[in-house]
Amino acid sequence: MQLKPKALPVKAASARRRLMAASCALLSAGAAQSQEPGAAPAGSGLLEDWSVDSALAYYHENGRVTAVEPVVDVSKVFADGQSLNFNATFDALSGASPNGALPSRQAQTFAGPSGKRTYTIAPGQLPADPNYHDTRFAAGANWTLPLTRVDNLSVGGKFSAEDDFISATVNASIAHDFNDKNTTLSFGVFNEFDSLHPVGNTPVPGSDFTSLVRTGGKTKDGVGALLGITQVMTRNWLTEFNLSVDRFTGYLNDPYKITSIIDSAGNTTGYEYENRPDQRTRKSAYWENRVAWTSQLSTGLSLRYMSDDWAVRSDTAQLHLHWSLSNRERYIEPTFRWYRQTAANFYTPFILDTLKPTTNFESADDRLGAFHALTYGVKYAQKLPGLGNRPESEISVRAEYYQQTFNERVPVPAGLQGLDLYPALKAVLVQIGYRF
Amino acid sequence: MKFDRLSFLCLLAGAALASGCSSLGVKPWQRDVLARDEMRLDANPLDAAIDDHMYFSKEASSGGRSYAGGGCGCN
Repeated sequence: MQLKPKALPVKAASARRRLMAASCALLSAGAAQSQEPGAAPAGSGLLEDWSVDSALAYYHENGRVTAVEPVVDVSKVFADGQSLNFNATFDALSGASPNGALPSRQAQTFAGPSGKRTYTIAPGQLPADPNYHDTRFAAGANWTLPLTRVDNLSVGGKFSAEDDFISATVNASIAHDFNDKNTTLSFGVFNEFDSLHPVGNTPVPGSDFTSLVRTGGKTKDGVGALLGITQVMTRNWLTEFNLSVDRFTGYLNDPYKITSIIDSAGNTTGYEYENRPDQRTRKSAYWENRVAWTSQLSTGLSLRYMSDDWAVRSDTAQLHLHWSLSNRERYIEPTFRWYRQTAANFYTPFILDTLKPTTNFESADDRLGAFHALTYGVKYAQKLPGLGNRPESEISVRAEYYQQTFNERVPVPAGLQGLDLYPALKAVLVQIGYRF
Repeated sequence: MKFDRLSFLCLLAGAALASGCSSLGVKPWQRDVLARDEMRLDANPLDAAIDDHMYFSKEASSGGRSYAGGGCGCN
């Protein structure tokens, strides 16, 4: 005997349809709330529901390098908790790059890296190669996979290529949540492989600039680990603390940097290529706090201390304010950063021809000197109606001013006094961003 | 006993984490403020990446927040 449902009266059928519709609406609302932002329902198309973050940055130094950098980052969180991220960056740099030599009372003429052209620096000016240019393309990917309800595995890779440099990095990390997901402990490792092919081949470290003693391509490799803890402190306070260590080995010189050799009167008598150690180990501690003070105002404060076996010690403090306006449709973020570093133990702005440096290593690269730097920045962002079925998008503009000032100035011979041997680096960054 | 700044920062963060252990954390229904975009530690990853690239190429330090590798021949 076949059982057939009894036909319902019209009124009852209509009531059931309304009840089913209401149930569906409730379920879909609940599902939408339970998903992460950007999460896609299972079975949705691969190209749907990707979050896209993009920016175009313009960077300019006073009298030195200018760079234009478009960046795009796409990511998707799947309903099962997996997430994928891809990013790509392109850099175009041009301008004048300091070669490490000191200003002089006399004009100085240098051969370019290729040896096919020369450039002359006027008396008193900082020697810089005026024909510097480089392009860089970088792409990266990251995949995060939930192993259990409280464990996540993340693996990723990055590749970048420049005219004279290729780099590949792989990384993996695991994160464990506990204490009602108020605490996350994470551990990650990375391995970087770099290959250098400088224009005009690689100079032998410490060799005479004019003798053109060069070798072929070089490599350097890095390996590192990071241990981190993230803790929800209160309803308004989130903190993160990281300890990291890394070690790089191989050719760690800048192949285009030279050091002036001067006599006791301050006259430049020659130049030699810089000569850095072939290994470097760095350790750092990083602490960041995010605090919401009101419904409109929150702050982020990060502190970092780093030390390495080149005797560089650095302190960094960065503070940014996030101020929401117009019912969170706009926000402004002022930023301030303070940075200080000590010099590497082989840093020297010049070599006296009567004295050898205290070690076999030497570099006049001002990035290894003792200086402090300040950054002032502000960002303004506006929420816009979303594209297609997206809830909203955001357009932003950001500007930063960065300035370095040298802290330690060594005594110089009379012939160099009055010259600006440590010109401050000043740079501006302007960035527009769009994400949807 | 000599304390360097690395030890000091570890102690300071450890003290903050350890202070009031019994009251650390929130219940799931108290995450409204923490759920705001600006409270995420990686709220603006592109801004951070562009800044990190600038600092990596001009200073002797990098990393801390994440891996220190540069993937760039600029330093």
